[in-house]
Formats: sequence, C-alpha cells, structure tokens
Amino acid sequence: MVTASPPVGAGLLLDLVENVSRVATGRTASVDFGTCDREAALELISAWCLSSGNEIVSMVGSAITVLHGRSPDPLAGLDPGQLPGSRVWVYTNFDCNLACDYCCVRSSPKAERRAIGMDRVRQIAHEAADADVKELILTGGEPFLLNDLDELVNACTNKLPTTLLTNGMLFHGRRRERLRRMDRSQLVLQISLDSATSEIHDSHRGSGSWARAVAGIQIAHDEGFRVKVAATLPADQMHELAPFHAFLDTLGILRDDQVIRALAHRGVAESGIELTVDSLIPEVTITADGVYWHPVAADHDDQFVTENIFPLADAIAEVTRRFIAHRRSANAISEWFPCA
Amino acid sequence: MSAPLIIGSVAYSPNVVPIWEGMRDYFAETSTPIDFMLFSNYASLVDSLITGTIDLAWNTNLAWVRTVAQTDGACRALASRDTDLVFQTVFVARAGSGFTGLESLRGRRLALGSRDSAQAAILPVHFLREAGIGETDVDLTRINSDVGKHGDTGRSELDALRAVLEDRADAAAIGINTWQAIGRGELLPGAFESFWISPEYSHCTFTAMPSLTIDRSDEWVANLFAMDWENLEHQRILEMEGLRAWVSPKLDGYASLIAAVREQKVSDRW
Ligand code: SF4
Repeated sequence: MVTASPPVGAGLLLDLVENVSRVATGRTASVDFGTCDREAALELISAWCLSSGNEIVSMVGSAITVLHGRSPDPLAGLDPGQLPGSRVWVYTNFDCNLACDYCCVRSSPKAERRAIGMDRVRQIAHEAADADVKELILTGGEPFLLNDLDELVNACTNKLPTTLLTNGMLFHGRRRERLRRMDRSQLVLQISLDSATSEIHDSHRGSGSWARAVAGIQIAHDEGFRVKVAATLPADQMHELAPFHAFLDTLGILRDDQVIRALAHRGVAESGIELTVDSLIPEVTITADGVYWHPVAADHDDQFVTENIFPLADAIAEVTRRFIAHRRSANAISEWFPCA
Repeated sequence: MSAPLIIGSVAYSPNVVPIWEGMRDYFAETSTPIDFMLFSNYASLVDSLITGTIDLAWNTNLAWVRTVAQTDGACRALASRDTDLVFQTVFVARAGSGFTGLESLRGRRLALGSRDSAQAAILPVHFLREAGIGETDVDLTRINSDVGKHGDTGRSELDALRAVLEDRADAAAIGINTWQAIGRGELLPGAFESFWISPEYSHCTFTAMPSLTIDRSDEWVANLFAMDWENLEHQRILEMEGLRAWVSPKLDGYASLIAAVREQKVSDRW
C-alpha cells in the first residue's frame, strides 16, 4: 500500500516564524515537519529563509534547524594565506631513504613510490597559476629520490614561487647536479632538523641522519639556495627552543625561516596532537591518489577529498565548500555547548 | 562629558539586549552616550518616563498615544524607524474564501491579536467602524497571547492566523510586518490571501519628556540619524531592529490610533 505524505501546511510556516522570532539573531531554532512531504517542507523553508534573511543549518529526520539571521562569512577573519588554495601542496612521491618513527605518511625505503609524475605536476603548476594559488609546496617521501626532480621543480618554479621539502641528506653526485639545475630565485629548500645536537634527531630519524642533514644545509647554502629549517617536536618539548634557535642562527638560518611544528598523531607516529578535518584549516594537498584536506593526512582516508585533481580550481572549490560547511556546523555545535 | 541618557525599552524579543548593547556601544563614541533599561511591559515603561527614571522611551504607537494622554501633550516624539511611518494592518483569510473587502466580514468570524496591539486589535476595530461595521456586526475572537507588549512579539498575530487555519476564525487582522514575515501569501500560494490593507499609519517613536532639554535631545537625534546602513556595524543593529534609517516621526500618522483609542475607550494604563 502506498501512503501519501500529507501536504505541507501553512502551520509549519507559522511555527517557523514564531520559533525563529523567539531566539536572538545568531541562534538557531527548529521546526518539525512531521510526516509531511520532505521535499516540499524543505522547499518552503528554503524559500522562507531566502525571503526573510535566515539560513537553514541542518536537517535531521523531520527536524529542520534554521539560523536566525545570516551566518557571518565563515572565512572572515582568516589570514589571506589561510584561505584554501592560497597555496597547494604536492606529494611528489611517498618512498624515502629514511623511516622516521613519526612520519605522518608512513614513508620509508619500503614504501611504494606512488609518484605524481611530470605530466600532472606540469598541469598542476599551470592550473594553479590560473587559480590564484600563490605558492606551490613539493614534499614526499623524499623528493630527491626522483630522477626527474629537477624537471618537476622547474615546471613549478616557472609558474609560481615554490618550496621543496627534503631531509637534505641526498645532495651528492647526480642529485646535487639536479639541485644545481633548480631556480634559486623561485625556490626555497625546507630541510628537516629536529634538534641542536644529534641525539633527539637521530633517535627519531635514524643514526647519523642529523650530521648529514646539517651537512645538507651547508651544501644548499653553498649552492646559493635559501634554506628553511623545519623541526618536528613533541608538544612537551616545545618550550625548550632557545638552544635550538641559537644553533640554527649559527647555521645562517634566518629566524623567520626556523619553523617549529608540533608532532601530529598521524601515520606511524604513536602519539602527537590529534588533527581532524574539524580542527584543521585545510591546505589543499595533491597526491598520486587524489586531493586531500591537509598534507599531514595525505595517506589517510578520513581526509581524502576527491580523486579528481583536475580541474584544480574545482578541487580547491570543493575543499573550500567543505571547510565552510565544517565551520558553520562548528558554530552551530558551539551554540549547543555555550560554556565549552 | 555629560551623564548618559537613559533609554527605556520593552524586552519584546531576545534581540533586545544585543540591539541595545549595540546602540550603547555606538552612542559611546558620540557626544551623547546612552545606557538602557529594559521593561516587561509598556505601562511600566511609560510610567518610568513620566516619573523621570528614564530620559527616553522607545514607545509603540499605543504607548506614544497613552504618553500624550497622560502628559496632556507635553511629551515629544523625537525619532522613528523608516518602517514606522508606513505601518499597515492587513486583513487575511484562507485563499479562495471569497472575501473582497471589509464588508464581506459581516456575520463572519474575525480573529484579532492582543487587545493592546494597535495593528492587530485596536486599529482593525477602528477601520471596521470607519467602514460602517460595528463590533456586533462581526464575530470577534480576541487572542491575547502577549498582553503588555502591544503586539510587539507578533505571537498573537501568528495565533490569529492559526485560528484561521484551524477554522476557529474566517479571517485575521495582522500587522504588515507579520504579513511580510510569512511571505505575504507568496510562499505557500493557496494558504492565505489578503483582502484588505489599511492606510499607512505611524508606529514606534522615541519619546521624551520636557525635562530633557531641546538642545540635548536635538544632539542625541542628530547622532541617531548618523547611523548609516552602509556601515556594517550599524547595519547589524539596524537590521535587528527592523529599519534601514532613523527618521523624524510623522505625527499625523497617529491620528487614526488617537481616534480608535477614544472610540474604544482604551485604558490609559496599557
Ligand atoms: S618524515 Fe620525511 S624524512 Fe622521515 S620518513 Fe617521512 S618523509 Fe622520510
């Protein structure tokens, strides 16, 4: 037997007007359309919201929740550099000569390469420039394991300022030749170094890795590159940074180029701060498998956005759309827990 | 700097606090800072204006008319919302019910809002009387959902519309603001239609007693008028209060209500 839903009645409209007027602007109110036709109820409430300057925030079962007034621009207040797509991360590959115990994407010599490849990098760089991206950031894995890295990097630097993340340990032989062929005026090298002495760094990244990274910084400087140093530290070590900064000063790293970031609980890391889609401002990240929310989770399904890398502008728009939705629902949730 | 002017307002909606805090913040940057006091009903607001507890009252049209009556016309109206000068009452029935004007209401059931609502009770009876229809010619149902607030909450008007939907009344008289809030019958064609709309009349106005000097009230009004819709911080407040610009009051717009109050012997104390 087919039972028809009762038509949407004007009573729903009256309840909506009354419930919304009973809450202050910026708060939400709900109406229940019961067994009425869902599509018709949504259409009526959407039309009312449009005409009255209010906004639907959620629909659960037969309850529709409406925000009294329009939500503020969810992207307002963000630094321009934080807007999704202001910079785009590209994972060139996932294999690495190291197997750090905190690697957020589980890289190691045994990890599958999953290289992004020259064609896609060229298209990304081309479309990024058109999509108002301001900077490209290449990371891995260890990018210097790739034989065509110089071409990949040059495809990027031809279009946009680019940063290349590396562990700095492979600047020898043909790889140093490739480094030399990169554009110093458009490229910054970001080398990982976790401590002022070898113990802490080597305990996470492998014996001898600290000395080779420090040597790598020197080589990069000798080759005329600007070098940033990025350290990954557990949260409980974040307060002991003075000796580390002093050491980086002696290596000739500008203070603005000394980047300290907290260890994330991702990949093979056993601890670290939890980073979820809800708590992370997105950084559009492209891998061979598709688009991710943030580089720290480029190997995790929970932050996978779409397998369609192109058109890049659409991928950025999708990340932006999800970001706006998250911020709106976060605002709605915070309203339910006003003391939190 | 002079002491802040104390403005009284009735707390008719949860937005009243953010509105007045916004107004206080705005006036703090002017030559006439303000503070505010909230009241639960217009009788107390008007009493407090007359006794000097507050310097200005944000009055409804009925509260203005009652203040005029209680002060023998000594009070002054200072400013209104642009929307206050063009207020109207709308008579509404179920779509297709065949009402063509006030005359069709003879012998039918008309739902009115709160008895102290100018737009949904006092003026509708006045407009009927002007059309030659006495209170005994129509079966009046009064829905006193929010007495004391002069119909500001709109709740009694929504209840009057519910009475029409539930066939407890054939028609309802509501304010134009409520008619707009439900989409003027356009959102759900076939639900409601309007069959008579009143002439425009005046609604709320800031009211002062003679104890507030003209110089001081003029300075305050000039600052009030300087609020600008194009300024987003001002716009936030103006939008919540339901206006685009503050304007000078239109005193002849209260004539219909003054006549209605006299005819219906509406109490001085509402
Ligand atoms: S953290 Fe960097 S250097 Fe270490 S394994 Fe991962 S990709 Fe390689």
